[in-house]
Amino acid sequence: MRQALVLAALALLPAIGQAIYFRDKVSWQSPIPASEMVTVAQARAWDGNVIWVDARPDAEFERDHVPDAVPLNEDRWNELLPQFLATWSPEKRVVVYCSSQSCNASREVARRLREEAQLRNVFVLQGGWEEWLKSRK
Amino acid sequence: MRTRIFAFTLSIFLCAIARAELKWEQTAVELHPTAGDKEAVGHFKYQNTGSQPVRFKSVHTSCGCTVAQSQKEEVPPGEKGEITATFKIGDRTGTQVKNVTVETDDPDHATTVLTLKAVIPQELEINPTFVFWGQGEALKSKSIVVRASKDFPVKQLKVTSSSPDFQTKVEQTGNGQFKIDIQPRETSRAIAAKLLIQPEDSPKVFYATASVTNAPAIQ
Repeated sequence: MRQALVLAALALLPAIGQAIYFRDKVSWQSPIPASEMVTVAQARAWDGNVIWVDARPDAEFERDHVPDAVPLNEDRWNELLPQFLATWSPEKRVVVYCSSQSCNASREVARRLREEAQLRNVFVLQGGWEEWLKSRK
Repeated sequence: MRTRIFAFTLSIFLCAIARAELKWEQTAVELHPTAGDKEAVGHFKYQNTGSQPVRFKSVHTSCGCTVAQSQKEEVPPGEKGEITATFKIGDRTGTQVKNVTVETDDPDHATTVLTLKAVIPQELEINPTFVFWGQGEALKSKSIVVRASKDFPVKQLKVTSSSPDFQTKVEQTGNGQFKIDIQPRETSRAIAAKLLIQPEDSPKVFYATASVTNAPAIQ
């Protein structure tokens, strides 16, 4: 028992050291609140009341995309934003997606839509295009 | 027995010195592109300070907007080289942080994350970049505030609407700040305009959008 405690204490030392050293680098919170994330199933349930926004680069959008999705990426933000806004309407929810869970483009596009264009009801699709593809099968 | 101990010690010693080691000059680069730059390029220099060659297994980036390239696939002992990361600025603004993950066959440092930080100058802050009216909404003007950055003084601002359906009026409110009042000629049908915002003596154009949506006015 005593040995186990000594081992546990020894294992704890580097862990504490690492936690202190990396205190500013560890993300303790998801950068996006859960209320602003949406699953494929939830977004599909909104049915006709959704505007799908594809935040991936143009080439990926051209290869394939969610039906009726509008391209809006930061490479051509100034050109694409007015095109997206032409389809937007206040009662509609906006669901932004990029390639996968690890990509950041959808979060950035959603942030700019909320902060710069001051739109409400903007969501980020969990798992992105990869997850949508799985649900299509 | 003595010989065995000696052989064992020698093998451990040789293993310790015969190692591959890629030493990075820096794993984080901060770039300050100027207005009008299309891309920002970061150079991550390294040297193999070990006695074994190091092979790159993969180099991938966190964003489709960044392309990373290694000069060589294998780095012999003592050799130097660099990984180049090219970040496409596009219409991005503010501080952008992109990661490049480098995987090598060096068992001690199999994965290295390189960080490219690009601080893109924001000459004008436009807030909001979109104003809209609902169907039948009162014909009242809505405002957009434009603030020039300290490094980019603006004396006058020219605003042009892409459609005659919207009228605009620019007012200087001091401290490098401007107010643009926008008003549609009617709200009985869906109309839209792109607003071109151009500081005097600058070729750069900034954008905002105004529209009358199909939806009824929000009460």
